[in-house]
Amino acid sequence: MNFLHILLFPLLITFILPIFRARIATALSTISFLIPAFVSLYLLLTAHRGEELLMNLPAPIGDFYLLYDPISHAFGFTISLVSAMVALYSLPYMKHRFEEMGAKEGEFRKYWFLYNLYAVSMLWLVYSGNLLLLYIFLEISLLASFMLIYLYGYGNRQWVGILYFVWTHIAGVLALTGFLIVAFANQTLALNELKVIGFIPWLLIFLGMVVKLPGLGPHIWLPWAHAEAPTPVSALLSPLTVGLAGYVLLRIYLIDSSFIVQFREIIIFYAIISSIYAGLSVFKQRDYKRLLAYSTVSQMGYVLIAICLGSYGLIGLVIQYMSHAFGKAILFMTAGAIIATFHGLRNLDKMKGMHEFVPTISNAALLGFMTLSGIITIGMFAEFFILLGLTQIYGFNLQIISLVVLVFIISGLYSFYTMKEIYYGTPMAYEKPKFSRLLDLPLYAIALFSVAFIFPPLAPALLDGIKLALGGVMP
Amino acid sequence: MIDFPLNEATLIATLLLAPIISSLPVAFAWLMEPKREWTRNLPIIAVFGLFISLICSLYILFNFGKLEEAVKIPFDWLPGYNISFVFIFDYLSKIMGVLTAFIAFLIGVYGLEYMKHDYRLGWYWFFFNLFTASMLLVVYSDNLLMLLIGWEGLGLASWGLIGHWFRDDDDMSFVGNVGRKIAGINYFWSPSLGAWRAISTIRIGDMPMFFAIAAIFFFAGTLNISEIHWHELAEKLGAFGIFLILFAFLLGPFTKSAQLPFSEWLMTAMTGPTTVSALLHSATMVAAGTYIFMRLSWYVEPWNIHNAGVESIYVLVLFLGLVSAFYGASVALGCLERKVLLAASTMSSLGLMFATASASKWVGEFALMVAFWYLVTHAFAKATLFLVAGHLIHETHDRFCVGGKDLAKHLRLAFLATIIATLCLSGIPPLTAYWVKSAMDEVEHSLEHEFGLIPLMLLVLTSAIYSAFLAKFLSLNFLKGDYKLKAHGGGRLMSFAYIVMGSMLILLLAIYLIDHEFHEFVEEGFLTSSLTVGLVVLTTYLIGLAKPRLESPIGKALGDRLYLAFLNDYLVPKLGWALAKLVDYGNRAIDFFCHRAIPDSFNFASKSIRKVQSGSVERYLKISVAVILLLLVVAVALGVIV
Repeated sequence: MNFLHILLFPLLITFILPIFRARIATALSTISFLIPAFVSLYLLLTAHRGEELLMNLPAPIGDFYLLYDPISHAFGFTISLVSAMVALYSLPYMKHRFEEMGAKEGEFRKYWFLYNLYAVSMLWLVYSGNLLLLYIFLEISLLASFMLIYLYGYGNRQWVGILYFVWTHIAGVLALTGFLIVAFANQTLALNELKVIGFIPWLLIFLGMVVKLPGLGPHIWLPWAHAEAPTPVSALLSPLTVGLAGYVLLRIYLIDSSFIVQFREIIIFYAIISSIYAGLSVFKQRDYKRLLAYSTVSQMGYVLIAICLGSYGLIGLVIQYMSHAFGKAILFMTAGAIIATFHGLRNLDKMKGMHEFVPTISNAALLGFMTLSGIITIGMFAEFFILLGLTQIYGFNLQIISLVVLVFIISGLYSFYTMKEIYYGTPMAYEKPKFSRLLDLPLYAIALFSVAFIFPPLAPALLDGIKLALGGVMP
Repeated sequence: MIDFPLNEATLIATLLLAPIISSLPVAFAWLMEPKREWTRNLPIIAVFGLFISLICSLYILFNFGKLEEAVKIPFDWLPGYNISFVFIFDYLSKIMGVLTAFIAFLIGVYGLEYMKHDYRLGWYWFFFNLFTASMLLVVYSDNLLMLLIGWEGLGLASWGLIGHWFRDDDDMSFVGNVGRKIAGINYFWSPSLGAWRAISTIRIGDMPMFFAIAAIFFFAGTLNISEIHWHELAEKLGAFGIFLILFAFLLGPFTKSAQLPFSEWLMTAMTGPTTVSALLHSATMVAAGTYIFMRLSWYVEPWNIHNAGVESIYVLVLFLGLVSAFYGASVALGCLERKVLLAASTMSSLGLMFATASASKWVGEFALMVAFWYLVTHAFAKATLFLVAGHLIHETHDRFCVGGKDLAKHLRLAFLATIIATLCLSGIPPLTAYWVKSAMDEVEHSLEHEFGLIPLMLLVLTSAIYSAFLAKFLSLNFLKGDYKLKAHGGGRLMSFAYIVMGSMLILLLAIYLIDHEFHEFVEEGFLTSSLTVGLVVLTTYLIGLAKPRLESPIGKALGDRLYLAFLNDYLVPKLGWALAKLVDYGNRAIDFFCHRAIPDSFNFASKSIRKVQSGSVERYLKISVAVILLLLVVAVALGVIV
């Protein structure tokens, strides 16, 4: 049995999920992601690399194949772990959501199909060895997540859904145009045969990914989409989907780094400004989910900073994706847990001293924020490698150093500011609720990995693996 | 080779994990609903874990060669990057480890009684023990990245403990007079605010420190403090480079050790339980900052490096330390809150440690020894005073310095412990701190060639004030304060803890006098100049004892910490909020432009175009004719040109 079968498993499950009742479907969906999670973790630990041909296609498309290397496995593990945990969490949450919407239990059939399709397309995306294949999965994930927002979102969900659709398709079309130019220039889109990415396609792909990531300016779609999506979907959108733009940039960079190297100064300044800007925006948000969405924008600034910082930066990028995914998944789920147990409570003005009522959620939020700010969690390595790359590329350039340090400081500040605003202070008049264990245990499972990844055996396996995938030698 | 009866890995794992694991039973039991009475006994296990750590640290002290010998124990971490977990057992860490574990254990015992009826035992013991374990990790680590794990652990645990009473519903846990306002700003702080101030200040120092660690790794190729060739590094990077790296690195210790202008958080950290303050102020957290500076200097050997960058750093630390020490002492003199007074005094002591340790640049290793032993002396004395303060707060239900002779009679042991601790800490001959302070005088005196007498003057002045407010603390709490006694029972365990802690000062005195290693301290102590300083200190002590209260506007301003709180509560937040507001407007503008203006203009355009589509044939004909005519005109025009 090879890894293809492991990847096919959740895909097949997707199509049979609607047959089952909600509980069984939850279990199946969780298992279908846990298996790839553990297998990819095992492959990560053994520094597995390889390729698996799916089909030969004529020029200018080139071979469709699956690409296995520690980078893919790191992303794949993150995606499948988070998807599995969010799947568990979906059951109590969506039950609440359907009740709130006046929908029947049967709605779960639609939900599980879309959820699994969404998650599995992201999983396949990071193993795609062909840019067209990658684009196809990108598109599927966008459609599935659009449907989920459109059907089950909050607020003016149709409007938000269309907004999300339009923005992500601007990103998609830009990237696709870039891919097509690459295809005609190289007569292939297979990653292992691509040699050159010209300036124009690089620019198009870069712009597309900046919209998706998002950078300052286009970032305006993200708070809408991530705040108004049903929380399990937010918990995939924000941690997993947007960061995949970083993954695409990384893959393109590994083929041809000319664009980034040439425009390094502009890109890094843009990234820093966008991160600081979004970090400051967090302080003004009074909606828990919107607040987290802005923090995502700030964290994605890290990704864009990292890609400018040479090979150390690239290591930082991969770890930043993982750390942000772990942290933000936990945090969105804490927001959702409060929404589900306090009947739609998400306004910070009505939350004070929530630790009193939901201590387990509060502790999970602490772990989430620790991951974001790199305190005794995998986030620490992300910051470490970004700072290493910074030293390598910029030496003692005071301006850039102090700005990047400021970015990190702001992340820590808004994290603990939010902790204080939501969980500390004199408690408001609420009752201590009873809620399903599925609303808090999955959060701790993710947090466990977040902490475990700074210690052996996970840390050396991950870091050595990424180094291997990047070409082995550190300059 | 030394033969270890205990496997090193097991030893270190036990040392670090015993506190954490032993706190888990109470941490988990406390999450159960409804709470059961028996869970209140579980903290005993947590304290037992601290005891195991103490045993391990003692084992390390005695079994890894001579005291001066440095033993390094590496474990694989990231072999591909040449980063390993490296534990180092050398002079500093062996002693500091025992000090930390011992003080943590005693405070743990004290906490069994002090925190008995608390509403959040699981949280308290988990973070208390995490605090200890983090500090032990910091103490024993040679690798900077590993040190950072402990360092962040300290910050996190202090956040958790300072904000322990997160409900903000008990005036007893506040700092400042509740309800007081100065210039529109609340001049009192709740636990949740105290926690936020602590973690936000620390974050500002930690990130530059993290950058420095990354930069050191990049340029030196290793993260092990003892293996970095500092001399070569300084030459390679030049004056500016090494200055930048060391400065960024030291911002971490400066914020953790509450040097100016980062001192405010330490004062409001008093919103936590007293046990936490005691631990935070003696052997963990704030001590970590100075300890790291000493450890760094120990291996940097600045006295061997002639580099303008390194020199500027040591000058900076020297004066920052002295000024902070002076500021802290003055503030403590004006302070009337028991714990805040002690907090300010800690800041002052930390300043002295920094200043003395930085003098090593000119004086050599001896200065580090003096700074380190001052840290040890201070740790025991300050822990004793805090534990007494905690007991007093329990007894009197008052955060401010109140209590008369009947209280002294009622709490004889507390009275005794306070006398011992204040006398021993202020540097009155021939008690414990006197010998260390004498050596310190000598160290600062030998800087005369570089900086004149300013360092020495500042030190003497600080010492004089220091002893005065310690006497004030004693006097206001036990002799001349106004307080009517309400009898309370219990407190045995608490008294036990601070009496043992206080008696360590006597033990330390004996060591200073007997052990040959400290003969220089003793020799300095017999110099006339040292004796003079000692007499000055004694005089101020007596004055403080006789007249603990003196109404004056200066005193009031000092008690308000010279309004430095405005930096944390007004200036920085004001700036931050202004920026946040600015970006918020930016977001609204972008949002309006993308999601309102563009769609609306499309709507408008489509409506205008649709207007044309009216259905009347005549109108369509007109338009067609117009277009054809226009095309003809264009064609003719083009023809003419051609």
